[in-house]
Parts: sequence; C-alpha cells; structure tokens
Amino acid sequence: MGLGFVVGVFGVLILGHAAYSTIQYRGLLKITEEEFSGPPMNVVAELLLGLVFCMWAGLTVPGKFLSILPDSEENRYCCLSFFRYFFCLVDLYLEIGDLYLERVLFVWLGGDRK
Amino acid sequence: FSAAEKKSSDLSNDIPTFNVENLQSNMKIIYYNWTFLFIIGGVIARILGFTSLTGFILYFLIMAITSAGLMAKSGFSTHSYFDSWNRAVLDGFFSGLMSFVLFWTFAYDIVHIF
Repeated sequence: MGLGFVVGVFGVLILGHAAYSTIQYRGLLKITEEEFSGPPMNVVAELLLGLVFCMWAGLTVPGKFLSILPDSEENRYCCLSFFRYFFCLVDLYLEIGDLYLERVLFVWLGGDRK
Repeated sequence: FSAAEKKSSDLSNDIPTFNVENLQSNMKIIYYNWTFLFIIGGVIARILGFTSLTGFILYFLIMAITSAGLMAKSGFSTHSYFDSWNRAVLDGFFSGLMSFVLFWTFAYDIVHIF
C-alpha cells in the first residue's frame, strides 16, 4: 500500500504540473492572440503518464479483494480446524468406547476364565 | 422424512450464502476506486480542452479501462468477490458521473478562466 500511495501522489503531482503548464501555454496564446486548440504534446504525454500512475494507485491502494464464498480457504480456515478437531475427538472417544465395550463383553462372556 | 430432507437441501442449494463483511469491503474498494479515477478523469478532460460530447467519451473510456482493471484485480473471477459482475463494472456509473462533471467544471475554471 505504501508504494501505491507514493505512486498515486507522484501521479497527482504530474497532473498538477501538466495543469500548470497548460495555464502557462494559454497565457502565451493570449499574448500571440491565438485560440486554444489543445495542450502541447509534452503536456499530453505528462497527462497520460499521470493517468497511468493514478490508475495503478487507485487499483492497489484501497486494498485487496476478499473472497465472499463461504467455502473459500480464507473464510473457512478457523471453522474447519475447529470441526476437524472436534470430530477427531469424537472418533477417538468412540474408538475407546468400542474397545472398552469389547473388553467388558469378553470378560462377561467368560473369556478370561481359564 | 426423505421428502423433507430433499426439500431442505433444495432450499439450501437455492439460497446462496455470502460473507457479507467481505462483500461490503469489496464494495468500498470499488467505490473509492471509481471516485478517485473519475476525479482524475475530469481534471484530465479539462486540461485537454475537451468539451461536451468528447468529455463524455473520455468518461466512458476511463470507465472501460477502470472496469478492465478491476476485473484483472479480481483475477477475472468476479463471482468469488461479488454477488454479480454488474457490481464490479457498472455500480459506480452514476455516482462517478457526478464526480467527473464536478471536477471537469472545476478544472475548467482553474485552467482556462482564472
């Protein structure tokens, strides 16, 4: 964002210089009693350069676009981690419960008796 | 039960869910972008000496370039960042037009009158 802001300020300064140059050019035309048909080519080049810099700054300074989809990585990261952790615990407890039940049944049915 | 399940799943498929905060953030970015670039465009139009129809042609040209820039910024996948592509392309049309005309007139006063 910092570089974009600097580029934007530079673009605005270039446009300001182009505006000042045009004012000076119009003053010269008034002296020579000619009509203003357009600024000189160097001013036009300055305007184009300033426009390019300002466009680049306008696209980069406000920030990046954020995804609005609920299943995108940046939106589901925390929730997916939480649910994954939760269901891992559930699976673990179910497995422990199965083993315990298996052991109880084994003992109850006389499996340990010799 | 299966019919109710099917109905509820159809309903969940029909209603798209978006991250509203991110959508609002993206809309702000677009708004700042449009406003800034149309102000710059208005100043450039007056420095170049554009009047009436040629000024509006420049307005549409800047709008087209800005839209292309926004589409490129979103990676040409506007559905990931906006609920419709109109938001990225056409949303700032009228509000930007007012800013453009305001600074077009303002720059005329500064450059060509005073």
